[in-house]
Parts: sequence; structure tokens; C-alpha cells
Amino acid sequence: MITITVNGQRHDINGDPNMPLLWAIRDIIGLTGTKYGCGAAQCGACTVHLNGEAVRSCITKISRADGQHVVTIEGLSANNDHPLQQAWNEVNVPQCGYCQSGQLMSAAVLLRENPNPTDQDIDDAMSGNICRCGTYQRIRAAIHKAADMQREGAKI
Amino acid sequence: METNAISRRNFLRVSGLAGTALCLGFYFPANAQKEQLISTTDQAGFDFNAWMRIDTDGKVTLTDHRAEMGQGSFQSVPQIIAEELEVDLKDITVVFAQGNPTKFGSQITGGSSTIRGSYKNLLKLSATAREMLITAAANQWNVPAGECYAESGHVIHKSSGKKLNYGDLVSAASKLSPPTEVKLKETSQYKLIRKPLQRLDTPMKTNGEAIFGLDKKVPGMLYAAVERNPRLRGKLKSFDDTAALKVPGVKKVFKVQMFVFNTTRDGIVVVADSTWAAMQGRKALRVEWDDSGFEHVNTGEIFKAHEQLLKHEEGLSFKKQGDPDGILTKSAKKIDVIYQTPYQAHTAMEPLNCVAHYQKDKIEVWGPIQAPDWVQGDISDKFKIPKENVIVNMTFLGGGFGRKAFLDYTHEAVAISREIGGPVQVVWTREDDVKQGPYRAGISYRGQGALDNGEISALKFKMAGQNIDHWSNTKRGKANDSTTEGFLKPYFDSVKNISFADVPYEMPLPNMWWRSVYASTNGFAYESFINEMAVLAGQDQLEFRRKYLKDERCQRLIDRMEEVSGWKSKKKNEGFGVAITECFETTVGQIVKVSRHADGKVKIDKVWAVMDCGWYVNPDIIKAQVEGSVVMALGAATIHEITFKNGLVEQSNFYDYLMPRMSDVPDVEVHIMENTADAGGVGEPGLPPFAPALTDAIFDLTGKRIRKLPFNLNAV
Amino acid sequence: MRKLIVITGILFIGGLITVAFRTEPAKPASYPILAKDSIGSVKAFMSVYKVLMSSRCMNCHPAGESPLQGDDNHIHTMNVKRGVDGKGLYAARCSNCHQAENTTGLHMPPGNPKWGLPPSNMRMVFQGRTPRQLALQLLDPKQNGGRTKAQLIDHMAKDDLVGWAWHPGDGRTLPPMSRPAFAAQVRLWIAKGAFAPSAKAK
Repeated sequence: MITITVNGQRHDINGDPNMPLLWAIRDIIGLTGTKYGCGAAQCGACTVHLNGEAVRSCITKISRADGQHVVTIEGLSANNDHPLQQAWNEVNVPQCGYCQSGQLMSAAVLLRENPNPTDQDIDDAMSGNICRCGTYQRIRAAIHKAADMQREGAKI
Repeated sequence: METNAISRRNFLRVSGLAGTALCLGFYFPANAQKEQLISTTDQAGFDFNAWMRIDTDGKVTLTDHRAEMGQGSFQSVPQIIAEELEVDLKDITVVFAQGNPTKFGSQITGGSSTIRGSYKNLLKLSATAREMLITAAANQWNVPAGECYAESGHVIHKSSGKKLNYGDLVSAASKLSPPTEVKLKETSQYKLIRKPLQRLDTPMKTNGEAIFGLDKKVPGMLYAAVERNPRLRGKLKSFDDTAALKVPGVKKVFKVQMFVFNTTRDGIVVVADSTWAAMQGRKALRVEWDDSGFEHVNTGEIFKAHEQLLKHEEGLSFKKQGDPDGILTKSAKKIDVIYQTPYQAHTAMEPLNCVAHYQKDKIEVWGPIQAPDWVQGDISDKFKIPKENVIVNMTFLGGGFGRKAFLDYTHEAVAISREIGGPVQVVWTREDDVKQGPYRAGISYRGQGALDNGEISALKFKMAGQNIDHWSNTKRGKANDSTTEGFLKPYFDSVKNISFADVPYEMPLPNMWWRSVYASTNGFAYESFINEMAVLAGQDQLEFRRKYLKDERCQRLIDRMEEVSGWKSKKKNEGFGVAITECFETTVGQIVKVSRHADGKVKIDKVWAVMDCGWYVNPDIIKAQVEGSVVMALGAATIHEITFKNGLVEQSNFYDYLMPRMSDVPDVEVHIMENTADAGGVGEPGLPPFAPALTDAIFDLTGKRIRKLPFNLNAV
Repeated sequence: MRKLIVITGILFIGGLITVAFRTEPAKPASYPILAKDSIGSVKAFMSVYKVLMSSRCMNCHPAGESPLQGDDNHIHTMNVKRGVDGKGLYAARCSNCHQAENTTGLHMPPGNPKWGLPPSNMRMVFQGRTPRQLALQLLDPKQNGGRTKAQLIDHMAKDDLVGWAWHPGDGRTLPPMSRPAFAAQVRLWIAKGAFAPSAKAK
């Protein structure tokens, strides 16, 4: 039995401890905002926060998350109002939108640790997330905008 | 419920029944020359039979009949309808249509056709509904309709200020005949169209709410993973499922055959109670394939064969004017070069998947589907079930780029559902996606050209590569329909001697359309060649084009390109390159600026794109499409290619089919030409000019002309 | 709230470094000292050098700020960076992809509980170093994390992360000799006087 707290809610999972966290979140817990893109930690579509770190859930076994706290895109904010989510909306970042959950979860760690990221910081934090639609330029703009909003006192 | 009362114009279908909602749509009978407008009341609830439904409570539901794969139909289709219908976008609900070509006409999201193929009908439909609602209100107030106008879902009587909600008028309006003629707004009157409005699907794509194919769950649904023969048409010799069946959660293992074009691919499917269990079961399979009698080809041989064909064969003539061969023979100043473009995978971020539920007399599928109408027809055909009993539901698509306008994955899912007798979701892995194609075919081109007194006296192009149409086996002996795709038509007016030919090359590697299709490869060859001719003539590449592209829209486009990029003020350590291509009725010019940085590497500093797509809906979506097209073109030009060894694909995932990432992409600045010519496409035309503009910029900086893609930007 | 997180982060990093040292025995085993023999010592070091410069070792001891990948030592695909503690930056922390053990399968992320690069204040670069440069660097407590020679032997012979090089997961080539043979050469190098090769040695 593996117990994982996801977005504040406790889940007991009876199953293969080697199952990647991604599939437990999607198929067992039923939160589908976290995406499968490569299964090899190459694309970042499956990024969730495990104790605050932006882990790639497609290769993280549920055994690693036992007794730990996971936050998925559904738990990033209560009302879609994290500064990043607001900025994503203002800049119209998503095209197909499939990679954006992962992009946002990565960006959230960047912004938490560096409230005023430079372009280089954004490159360093975000190059693990692939966007095939090519929204990178807008992701960059939205991260800067979110940093501005956060500085101006928007609530986290 | 619809009635068949035919109105005076013979193509209008109206309802005679009182009802609870006004539904309007067009009707596309299979054999009719022209679509018909339908107005219908609907007491049984919304049955997705029309583009718009207004309920008695005033609730407006608009239908997106095309796929939303990032290109913005979920925003732009409602943005058109809301404009003439006079409703606020915030008050409407958007739903995806089911596959039904009779109701929606063509639904294939391809050829950048969502807007250009539907906007005139949508404007007319929305204005018709608005006029019917105004008439209903005018009748109720007993005033002339001309004294009333519509705004934000209400009809208002100008002088008295009386106001009625659309919902209150639905019942009366639904009994009226649609007017024969409606007046559409002038461009200057638009309140929504041409405005950079925020996309309606953005909020649900920032909190995980948007449902993509892979997110679709159906009660009782099982999950399936399929180990398919790595060779198209490959057959199964034998398989051992002992270990697979021992994986906890695995329910069933059996052979399945998937149709790919006119041929099949054998696979072994593992059905389980979770995606992970299905994948684990698949890994435990032991399969022996029969690969005798198949092409065991290597990439190098393909391109060598192209070169031989281009050298020795004249091919099938596609277009010819004047006598380019005669001129070339006589000319002293000429060039003769080969360009090569690689095989490419689509690698949409959402791998292929499909949920299917086969129920004897009815089949329902859900998935990331680019062509719901095609899927409906195909499933009906292959499983011998009447079309109306095949329900095809589109989810959001996590990218498509052409790959999801295909019938293999949907057919396979239905076949699996039939075998297990229940709903199933078939999940492709990234490796399946990369390794199985179909791919954009690698194509080689030969360009020959002559100059006389600094002017182009002859152009001769030949292409050699796999032809998508050959899979249907109907067009042999005829040049590729798209031989000149991407090439600007005004060149035919200014250059007397031009010829284009297609040298057929057959290879049974699965190939299909990929974003911007042939323009993506043609554009590189043809526009690179124009740049080489400019260099040969000792002339500025942009000025050179200005001389030959005499069409007024092209002239204005070139002016704009020059103005926004500072083309004439380039500095010493900078290289500027240019290309202009046209596809799907839209012309895009790009200027790329490169420079050598302190680390010795050539970097792309900036890309300027100017798009002339005529009438347009949402400038911000257009800009996003061009920005994304440049990134996709950058990957195809400098980072990845599909290669074959012994007939098998060598790449398998993003670790060997690399993608542009945040740190690789240049800043892209997009400009849109303002005019009201017929709408052109938006999703694809931004892609083809990038590679030739980039290689031209590199030539400008380094003197090195790149003619084979992809090339390593770090090694330039 | 944010400040608190940052402070916790720093404490955490400090903790990691301490832990890294604690995994090695506080009192290293005593090793025999042989008669000084510069030729024999240098010869042993040249074997050690070959191992250290093999892809499995060098890829995480790069000259730049990004780790390397593959036998061609290309820059790590996502352009990931060392960070202060050597464990990556922001959303690209090593352990976000690299688990406590190798993930099965070709091209899948290798793993170890301590996965990372040397920290930014003790970069211990292998890439591009000549044998002499590397030998002197390894012996310099200011550059080797304050290790004595005995601790250096222990680190090379027993450290779990160093040991990963000999269990690198599917599809990865191994260093040119076994770990015991490597450890023996390290001991020999130091026991015979820990001589650095001449500047000409390659």
C-alpha cells in the first residue's frame, strides 16, 4: 500500500510500486491535467511537484512518492489565478495546450526560487520542457509578466 | 426536429414547428452543388445539428465544426459567428461538432482551411439568425424591423429603447422563414473580428481542465497498447503471450490488423485495466515478425537514387512555358544545383490515441481527430455499419500537424473494441509515434537557371521523392499535383522560360502530409534557388524579388518586409536572408538575421515575418501560428530528421529525435498585411520560408551555401 | 513566506554537502605506504587518469556549467546547469529526472541517490585537464573538498556515486578497467608517493 497526498488529498494506492507516478495520477487518482509525452523524462509534459520539486512523473515510481506531497496542475491554484496562470492567459500562451501543464509546473518552481528571473534563468529552468507548437517566446514573456505581477503584490 | 419545407430559394430548409430553441445550420447534401441553410426548432435538446443554438433562456451554444489542435478554431469560429449574430463571446458555450459532413460540410482540419473554407457561410448564417430575431421582435412590437437593431444578445427598438433578450424571441423566430439576402458588416464595422481577443480555450489549458484524447474516460473502459510490426505491411510469424498474461492487470492478448492507406500493419495488442499494465504486458511479449520481401533500404541510398533520377530523367512535366532547355543550353551564365530535404516525423506532443466502443449496431469513437468526417466514413465502410450509427467525437488535440488527419489509429481502436466487446482506449507510446510514421517524405530537387544581362532568362526545376497520392494508386503517370506548391505565381508572369517536372520515385516507406505539406520542402529549394540567382546576378536578394514579383500584393509585402527588418541598414558582422513563399492562398515573407557570437557559433538573432492572408479573424492567433511555424521549421532545418537503416527507422524518442527548446529559439516578430481579399490559410504558410531565409542569412554571413537539410547550426 | 523557502533551501543545500562527506568513513582506513617510486606512481596514475577521463566519469566533471552525455560527451540535452550545490537549477534539478537508481531501458535516465555534479565552489573539472593538472588538482585539499590522501583513496574506492560508473545502466559503456583494479591503481599511485606526471604526459 502506497499513500500519496495529491493536492492536499490523501490517496491510498494498492498496486505495482514500480508504476510511474504519472499513470497513478491519471488512471487511478483520475487527474488528467498531467500529460504523457515521452515516458523518458525528455519532454516535461508530465511535470508535477513532489515536495516542491518539479519531478518528471513519467519516470518517478510511486514508491518514491510514498508518504510524500504531490501537487499537480489542478492544485497549482484554487481558481486558475496563480500569477503564472494569469500571465499565461494574458499573453495567450497555449496553442494546442498539451505541454502547458508541465510548462506551468516548471515555471512555478523557477518563480518560487527566483522572483526576478532573467532570460538566462528562464532558459536554465525551462529547457527541459518541449513545446511542439513553439510557444516558447510567449512562455518567456509570460514568466516575465508573472514575475512583475508577483512583485506588484498579486497573491500567490 | 427538422421539417423538409423547402423555401422559395429552394436551398433553404426551415422549420414549421414551434419549439424551445432556434437552431441554425447549413445542410450539405452529398450530391448538391451548393450547401443549404437550415433553420430548425429542436424540442428534444441540442443534437449538434447546427452551428448555433439559442435556447429560450438566452443561452447561446456555438459549434466548432473543425478540430482544435492549437491553431485556434475554438476561438476563431465563434469569433466569426458572434460578430454577425451580435452576442458577447463571454456569454456563449462552444462545443465540438461530431463527424457529420452532411451537416457541416468538410470537417478535415488540413490545408489551413478552417477559416478560409467556412467564413463566408458562417458570416451569412449568423447574420441570418440575427435578422430573424430582429424580425421576431419587430413583429411583437409591431414596428418596422428597420427601426430595430441587435446588440449583446438582445434586440433593441431604437426610438423607444424597448429591449428583448434573444431567448424570449427564439420561439417566434424559429417560425419565420430565413431571409433570402442579408447584409453583412463592412470590415470597419467589426467589433470582434480582426481584434486580438483572448482565446476561449486558454483558461482551460492553464489548469488542466481541457480534455484531450488521452484524457477521455468512458465507463468500463480498458486500456490497450499494441506491439506493431516495425515494417509497414510487415506480417506476424508468431508470438508468445505467456509472460504478458502474467502481468497483473492484463486481461487479453490478441493479434490485430491496422489499415494504413491501402495496406495493413500487423500488431499484437495487450488489453489491461490501466495504461501502465498494458505497457508492461506489451514489453513482456515475445514476437517474431516476418520481414522477408520488404525493402531493407538505407537513407543514403534514397537520396543517391534521387540524385541519379534528377541527373538522368526529365520526369513528368507539371508546368512549362517558353523554352528553358534551349535557353539553358545556349547560356554561359548559369547554375545547376541539388537541394535535399529530409524525412520528418510529426511528433505532436500528444501521442496518438483513440477510445472506441463497438456495439453491434453502433460504433462510437472519441479522440484527437483531425478529420471526423473521414473517420466516420472509414469506420462505416470497414465495419459495415450505416454512417449515421457511427458517432465520431473530437476532443482537443495535443497537436496534429497532419498526423491526426488519418484513419489508421481510429480503425485499429474499433477493431480492438470489437474483439473485447467493450470500450477501450488505445495508447501509442512516443516510440510508436516516432518509429511508425507516416512521415513527410524526403525530397530532392534540381534547380537550373540562366541569366542574361543580369535578368533571369530561364528557370528549370525537377523534384524527386515519394508522392502521397501514390498510396491510393490512382494517379500514376501524372506529375505530383503539388509540384509548384510554395512557388510564387507572379514569377510566371515575369520569367518567360520556366519549367517544373516531377521525377517519380517509388519507395514503400509510409509517407503523408506534414504541416504545409509540399510547400515545406519545395519552398526551401525554389526560394534558395532564387537567392542563388540573385547572388549570381550580383543583386540584392530583396530587390531581385521586387523586380520579378510585380503583383501589387507582393510589392506591398516586400515593402513591409524591408521596412520592419531594417534590411538596408545591416551591419558588418550580420547576415540577412530572405524568402517568400505562398501556400493555401497566403503569402508569407521572412527575413532572418544571424551573427557570429563570442563563442564562435552562428546564432539566429531575429526573424521578421510578414503575412498576407487577406481577410482574417484574430491577429493574435495568426501571430502565434507564425511564431510556432518558425520553431517547427527551425527543428526540421537544423535539429532532427528521420533516417532509415535496413528499412527500419533509427530514431525513437526525443533523445534521438531532438526538439528545439527554450534556449534554441529566436525572437519572431510577425506583421499582418491589412486587406480584405478572400481569406487565406494561417496555420501552415508561416513554415516554408524559414529554412531558405535562414540558409540565405548564413550565406550572407559566411559565404557558405547550405543545400541539404538538416544542417548543424553549431558547426556553421 | 518566500523568504522562508529560500532560507530552507540554503539549509537544505548545506545539509546535502554535509551528508555527502558523512557517507565516507570519518576515520579512513590506514593504507600502506610504500617506498617512494615516482615512475611507478606516475604509471599507476596514468591508469587512473584513463578511467577518470572515460565518459562515465568525465560527463559529470565537465569544464563548463552543463553536464555531458553519451560517449561523444555532448552537452546534456536540456542544457541543464550545475547550480550552487551541483544538483541542478530550478525546474531542472538532477533528481527531477534522475532517480535513486537507474531507470531501466536504453536512453532512460541513470540514477543514484547522490546524482549530481561537484558543487560550484569545488568544481573538480576533469574535462580538458592534462594528467599532471588532474593529479595536482586531485591532491589539493582546496580543490578536492578538503580530502586527505587517505580520504581520496576511500572516495575513489568506495564512494557509491563514483561506483555508479561501473553500473551505468542499459546501453552505456564501462570505464576501461574494473573498479577493484581502478582502486588498486589509486592506492598504488598514492602509496608510491602520489607523484604527478610531467607536463608532457598525455
